[in-house]
This record gives sequence, C-alpha cells and structure tokens, in this order.
Amino acid sequence: MNRLAGLFLILAASFAAAPVSAQDKILTVFAAASMKNALDEIDAAYTAKTGVKITVSYAASSALAKQIEQGAPADAFMSADTDWMDYVIGKKTINEPSRVNLLGNSIVLIAPKDSKVDNVNIGAGFDLAKLAGDGKIATGDVKSVPVGKYAKAALEKLGAWQAAEPKFAMAESVRAALTLVARGEAGLGIVYATDAKVEPGVKIVGTFPPDSHPAIIYPLAATATAKPEATDYLAFLRSTAAKNILEKYGFKFLVSPST
Amino acid sequence: MLRVDVTKQLGEFSLEAKFESQGRVTGLFGASGAGKTSLISMIAGLLRPDRGVIALDGETLDDTSKGIHVPPHRRRIGYVFQDARLFPHLNVRQNLDYGRRMNGVAAEPAQFTRITDLLDIGHLLDRRPGKLSGGERQRVALGRALLSKPRLLLLDEPLGSLDESRKEEILPYLVRLRDEGIPMVYVSHDAAELRQLATQIVMLRRGRVTALGGVKVLT
Amino acid sequence: MFEISPAEWTAILLSLRVAVIATLVATPFGIALAWLLARREFWGKSVVDALVHLPLVLPPVVTGYLLLLTFGRRGLVGAWLADNLGIVFAFRWTGAALACGVMSFPLLVRPIRLSIEAIDRRLEQASSTLGAAPWQVFATVTLPLALPGVLAGMVLGFAKAIGEFGATITFVSNIPGETQTISSAIYSLIQTPDGDTAAARLVLISIVIAMGALIASEWFARRATKRLHGN
Repeated sequence: MNRLAGLFLILAASFAAAPVSAQDKILTVFAAASMKNALDEIDAAYTAKTGVKITVSYAASSALAKQIEQGAPADAFMSADTDWMDYVIGKKTINEPSRVNLLGNSIVLIAPKDSKVDNVNIGAGFDLAKLAGDGKIATGDVKSVPVGKYAKAALEKLGAWQAAEPKFAMAESVRAALTLVARGEAGLGIVYATDAKVEPGVKIVGTFPPDSHPAIIYPLAATATAKPEATDYLAFLRSTAAKNILEKYGFKFLVSPST
Repeated sequence: MLRVDVTKQLGEFSLEAKFESQGRVTGLFGASGAGKTSLISMIAGLLRPDRGVIALDGETLDDTSKGIHVPPHRRRIGYVFQDARLFPHLNVRQNLDYGRRMNGVAAEPAQFTRITDLLDIGHLLDRRPGKLSGGERQRVALGRALLSKPRLLLLDEPLGSLDESRKEEILPYLVRLRDEGIPMVYVSHDAAELRQLATQIVMLRRGRVTALGGVKVLT
Repeated sequence: MFEISPAEWTAILLSLRVAVIATLVATPFGIALAWLLARREFWGKSVVDALVHLPLVLPPVVTGYLLLLTFGRRGLVGAWLADNLGIVFAFRWTGAALACGVMSFPLLVRPIRLSIEAIDRRLEQASSTLGAAPWQVFATVTLPLALPGVLAGMVLGFAKAIGEFGATITFVSNIPGETQTISSAIYSLIQTPDGDTAAARLVLISIVIAMGALIASEWFARRATKRLHGN
C-alpha cells in the first residue's frame, strides 16, 4: 500500500512539475467568436511559417473585453464591434497605436436547413414576430454581445423590434446562437453572414440592409501587456495571405494589405 | 513516593482524597462509582483537580494554588486501563515499543525480552490486537506500560473485565511485577485481589477516604 | 471518433493537473480544520463550520466572483500578491486550482472530521500516558486511525475538483492551455456547431476519470480499514 501511495505521489508531482504548454513562443489572442474558423486557419499558417504557437480564446467580444479589463493575459484582441475596443482602450489596457479597423461583415437571418421559411424580404415593415410564430429567434445578448446589438439596432430601425422582443433567445455568443438554430432549438436566428457560411445545418433566408444598422467593423489591436512577438503576428493579419483566407470566409478586408 | 491531596466535583458528589503512598503497591479499594477511576486519572494528569496538590518523588505534578499542571506525557506515569486500549493499527511489538519511541529512548532488547518473558507474550509479537484474547490483551497492555519505563504504574481494575480463570492466570504476573519493585497504585473493588497484591490500602466510599492502612483494613 | 485532438489532450491534462494540485494543497488544511472542528471547542466555532461549508451551498458563480474580487489582479489580496510576491491567480491555472480547491474543500473536510470524531479518545489518552506529546498523539494515533476518512475526503475532493465549472469559469475564464479544463472545453464545444463529437469524447473521458477515482478510493479505504482493525 505504501508503494502505491508513493507511486501516486510521484504521478502527482509530475503533473505539478510538467508545464502544460511551453511558456515561450506562444501568443494568446482573444478573438470574437465569429472569427473562429477563419482565424484558426490563419493561425495554422502563421505557426507553420514562424513556429510561434497561437492560443485563441474565442468568446463574445463583451466577455473578452471584461476579462482583459480584469488583467487577463491576452497579447492581442479582435473585437466584433468598435464599442468594446473603445472600452478596453478606455481602461488603458490596449496598445492604442497598434489598433487597426481590420474587417467588415454583414448580418443575416438564418433558419434550420430544413425549415419551411425561405426568401424573406427584410425591409421597412418587416414583421419578424409574425415570421417567428411560436418559435424562438436566437442571437447574441442584445445588451452586450456585438451581433445582438447590431440585430436590435437593425430591427428597431425597421420597426420590428418591439413585437419580436419577447421571442428572442439570447445566447452568450454568436456561435452559441448559431448552434441553437443548427440544432433546430430556435426557428430563426440572426448571425453574421460569415457564421452562416460555415454551418451546413442552417440556411440564409434573408439579409439585413447595411444601412439598417451601424457599420459592422472588427478592430484589431495588441494589448498593453503584449509580448514583442505580437507585432509580427498583427502584421501577418494584415498580409495578403491573411486577406485571402478572410475573404474566403466572407469577411470584408477594410485595409489595404501590407504585404 | 506519591502524595495526593485533592478535591474534585464529580457530578452529584465531590471527591476529597488525601493520602501518601509508601511505594510498593497501594490498593485503591471501593465500590463502583466511589471515585477511584477519577482519582487515578488525576494522578495520571488526564483529569485536573478542582483544588489541591499531587506530587511524586518530590516533584509537583499538580498544584492548583500555583497553577501548576504537568501534562500526562511528561509525568512518566504508566497507566494500564481496564479496557487495555491497545492501538488497533499497530501490532503487539509496535504497541510494546510505543512508549520507548515516544520518549526517544534507545532500544533495550534485553529488557524487552525480560518483560515479554515475564508476561508470556513473546509468541504474540506479530499479532494485531484484534486477534488477541482478553487475557492476552491485558498482558500486552501491562507490558506496554512497563516498557515505557514509568516511575509509577497505575492499574485500573486490570482484571475487571476477565473471567475467573483469566484472573488466576494474570494475578501471578502482577505479583511478579510487585516483586520487581515497580511502585503501583492498583484500583479494584475485589478485596481478594488486593489482599494478594497490595502493601497498603486506601479505602474510598462516595468520594471520601474512609480507611487508610495495611491490608488488615480490608477485613 | 476516438482520435483525441491536441486541444482535447490539453484540456484533459490541465484538468488532471489542476485537480491534483488543488487536492494535495487543500488536504493539510482540510485535516487541520477537521481536527479543530472535531476535537476543540472555541468561540466562533459554528461560524468557522459555516464558512467551511459555504462553497457547498453558495451558487458556484458567486464563489467564483468572490474569488475574482479577492484574488483577481486588482483584487484585495490578489493585487498585493502580484506586486509583492509575483503570485498571480487570475486567468492562470493556479487560479483554476484555487477555485477547485475552494469548491471541493467542504467535501474534503466532512469525511475527515467524521473520521476523527469516531476515534476513541481514550486511545489518545492512552498514548499520552505513554509519553506522546500532543503532536505525537496526532501523528501516531489520530491520523493513522483517521486515514480511511482522509482518503475518502481526498478522493471526493478530487472528483469535485476535476468536475468544477461555475467558479472556475467565472474566476479564470476559459483560456485553452491555461484555464480550459474538461468542463469548460465541453461547454465551449457544445456551443460550436461541429463540436458534438469532440464533446462526447470528453464526456466519456470525464466519466472514466470519475469512475476511476471512485474505485481507487474504495480500494484505498478498504485496505486502510483492514489495516486498522487489527488483522
């Protein structure tokens, strides 16, 4: 029994001593949930090119911004709206000169792939509540998550918000909302066009007119505590290689590529 | 030489005892509930008197007026309990060795063998207490207390939980111990036992010493 | 289906590491508190008892938030620790270990306390008459006899630590490789459209680890009990 206890202790000690991940040459990126597929591909290319590993925490920009404010060890932050980037800049946690408004996007109305709903005309007088019927409309929390904020703004402009509000299922990120629709838990959803593109379980049934909501801008910046390697990484995100990947996923590249 | 002069409130009655033991075997005689166990618990330091003094060979162990109380582990007073109280997680040898180890004393194999021979427990050394008979347990308890090299040995009805044949088995060992010269305070409600063992009797009745003297006092 | 991706491995190893550290560090404190509650009377004892059990009844998110306020980078204690000792809990695996340790503490203390209370105090008295100082009584009599309870508490605490979610994600969030434990990984995966298979794998692994821990604890406790009951 003592031998077994000894073995157990050695195992325990080895867990304690062994680093879970190498501490050098890793960048930690906090990125909006909608970036996931595109950024994973870009990061793989970057690691292949430079050997620097990228760890990404994907979540709603709101959650990430609060964590950065609390001192989370991110090297770079890509938000899905300018509000949250301005927020963390205001908390003095961002290397301001490194900020660039990198990407654009659009929001769409989606439904489960086998839904009877299709070809919805989203314009003035659009009645989302009627379209939803008894079902739920999934999107990010309209109070904080960027996609939810854009959705609410657009619906308010179109006069559809009040009636539809009680039917909303507020998820904690755009991807959570996307999953709700893909699983058929929600009959409709409002997500980014780029999200709909990567999820075969949903179909786009309508597009929101760009002038119905504030421009969707994804700013990128290094944090105040960023490692020096972050500069090179940010530059890579502005390169043609990155631009091609991002446009493939449906993002609009708002700056001219640097390389 | 043990000097006791204490009072203690015990539930419904109070205990008041004053006596000196002359060495050898002091028998504490009385019916159940007379206060015998409380008295020797105080001598051992497991119970504190409300008022009074306990001294052994000139060293003050308890003095309530001066706030002195030497804790049990520093008194070097052995205690053989009525229920043996052997450590269940240790075998007989480890139980016997316990006192020596706690006091950081070097092993004395000759002494060890002498005591185990005296008590006839040499063949039980690797057993666990759970596998011993009542009589064997009591003998081991005796050996354990002895091997801690006490200056005084307290025995609380050590034969109390045993049947007649067992008692007759162990009494000779106790007589041998007396003849070895270890001072003992021996608690019992059995006059016959004490007549065989004791050299001095303290008789206790409802917390009071009612007689003090040689074994003649028992008749 | 049974190919485990690097990200999943990271979560598994991190969870094991966090739970092992949390349990090992919490155990001495657990034994000390269990002993205090079992053997000593003191002013404020019921308050201490209640505080020990608080993480069991508070919503885990509340516990996590309180940890953030206290040990976060700008927290009451956290700021001091970071500035003076360079110890950081926020958003680090050490913070995850702290959260898991706190949440599992009541489950650790309880069996140990019950175990100590069940020990015949007369044995402890006997040992002191044989010359054992109070710390020796504890080390040679109390602790060995309480061993089954200690092991049971440790394993229960470990199982809770490895499954902890609410306090952890509130205090140290969900950073892969640093604070993303199995639970947080599953949580993220089920919100990702194509994550169900990976989530199912991790669920299976969690069950295997938990079952393994429980079986091991049973085995340890039975061995220890046999040893103690004198055979």
